[in-house]
Amino acid sequence: MNAIEIRGLKKSFRGLHAVDGLNMTVPVGAIYGFIGENGSGKSTTEKLICGHLVPSGGKIKLFGKSYRDAGVRVRIGALIENTGCFPNSSVYQNLMMQCINLGIEDPDAEIDRVLKIVRMEDNKRLKFKKCSLGMKQRIGIAMALLGDPALLILDEPINGLDTDGMRIMREILVDITKNYGCTVLISSHILGELEKIATHYGIIRQGKMIQELTAEEMENRCQTYTTLKTPDMQGAFGLLRRQYADVRVEDGTIRIYDVDDTEGIVDFLMQNGHPVSEIKKNRIGLEEYYIELMSRKEGA
Amino acid sequence: MTRTLEPRFVSPSLAERLRGMLGVDFYRLFHTPNYYIFLVIAAIIPAMILTMTGEESGEILYTNTWNVIAADIPLYVVRDIGDYANMNMVFIFGGIMVSIFIGHDYNSGYVKQLFTTHAKKLDYMLSKSITCAFAMACMCVTYLLGSVMAGLIVGASMDVAVGSLAVSLLGKMIMSMGWASLYTFLNVIFRRYFGIAIASSFFLGTGIPIIGAAALLGNSPALNLFLYGSSVNACLSSNFATLLTCLVVSVAWAVLYNLLGTAVLERSDVY
Repeated sequence: MNAIEIRGLKKSFRGLHAVDGLNMTVPVGAIYGFIGENGSGKSTTEKLICGHLVPSGGKIKLFGKSYRDAGVRVRIGALIENTGCFPNSSVYQNLMMQCINLGIEDPDAEIDRVLKIVRMEDNKRLKFKKCSLGMKQRIGIAMALLGDPALLILDEPINGLDTDGMRIMREILVDITKNYGCTVLISSHILGELEKIATHYGIIRQGKMIQELTAEEMENRCQTYTTLKTPDMQGAFGLLRRQYADVRVEDGTIRIYDVDDTEGIVDFLMQNGHPVSEIKKNRIGLEEYYIELMSRKEGA
Repeated sequence: MTRTLEPRFVSPSLAERLRGMLGVDFYRLFHTPNYYIFLVIAAIIPAMILTMTGEESGEILYTNTWNVIAADIPLYVVRDIGDYANMNMVFIFGGIMVSIFIGHDYNSGYVKQLFTTHAKKLDYMLSKSITCAFAMACMCVTYLLGSVMAGLIVGASMDVAVGSLAVSLLGKMIMSMGWASLYTFLNVIFRRYFGIAIASSFFLGTGIPIIGAAALLGNSPALNLFLYGSSVNACLSSNFATLLTCLVVSVAWAVLYNLLGTAVLERSDVY
């Protein structure tokens, strides 16, 4: 069963197609990294799933049921754009309102539980407006975690966080999927952070899903490469091309793709009279992969 | 890496959903200073009217305390401020209060939490209407208390037919449901335009369209079909039929506005 299954989803704003026939499949228990440029339709898709917007066409199913099913909806937690807290109310009061809304039997225990998860247990009497950005983001997560959600939808939850805040957020997300069996749909521009936690990826462009893949598939597509410099770049390049399958000259360096054995490369060049002046092992990460994919699509 | 847990989903009944939504709205109501401010305003206004229309001011609007609550007979056609300044003003304050109350839902973004977990837009309409009707009914009570205290202080007459007064008070409190539903509907329509929402609530709360119609039609009982008309009809000569009229009119408009509001929310983007 899939947590989210979207087919042919459309949403237009005054003739402008924000989401244009989008398909999406998010398996249960996944941390689904939803990637795309600004204005590509990520937030619109998330709002459509949450029922904030009315679709112009297409189907949304959550856990095999209609996205309008009250039984499913009561188990969705969301943090989209802002936390949706009342600034003059305390952290406790804001969480209490959501507990009452969800019909949680022991709200005080539930509030303590979620505040502990987001490491905010000492701040529950603080007025929301007095909280820092990082604290607000964590309160938003805490709010979304109330009532044992089966699906969390998080729109840019790590925006504006410092390094430590990002680390805490990352640990929280991994913890809730592992220990609470929650499925997470998370959009972020900070691809390096997303890469550390996502089990699945969906790449959206101009309202269309251009690629969906698992972390393993992404790993296979993200090549490793070695960059090196020698005094005779031209000669070394010709030599290496005969020895290795994928050798390119880029940015004034020779790049050898998908070869882990750097010592072997150095030995090979030395034996053939090409001393190596500089050598470095690199990996194409999610960010590079995404940029390459985007430029490929632009060219197409 | 992916877990294969299959979560279970139990659909809550309307009563369960409404209990949750009402719980939030009442929690918010009792934790927002605006509610208490409006309760105090509702108490102060009649006291001001009574005390400021004493002999020293040279113009006496009321010699009977209970006229600050309702006129002796249904006066749809307003001749002066004296015909107008009674408990029906609670519905104007109520309109402003409802606009602020619902406006905060949208300004803060909290409405997203509500609509994420509550797929049924009817829950939202009903909950807001009931909560705000309760708030307006409470304002009617503080208005009564303010009137009685001011009447005792200025020594105004307390003569009244107690039964009719009780029916009048009860009628106006019942009308709160219809008014609250109207304001909820207006605020849903103008949810992205707080200024227009509050202005339209104020405008309709004053009953100006009905007063205008009354100027043309005269004191016609047909005006009782409208919220302002029935609110005026709940006067100091009310009887059981008046109460029944208030109940039918208030419930009918409440149902209509709640259904219309639900349809609007179902068919348009809510945030």
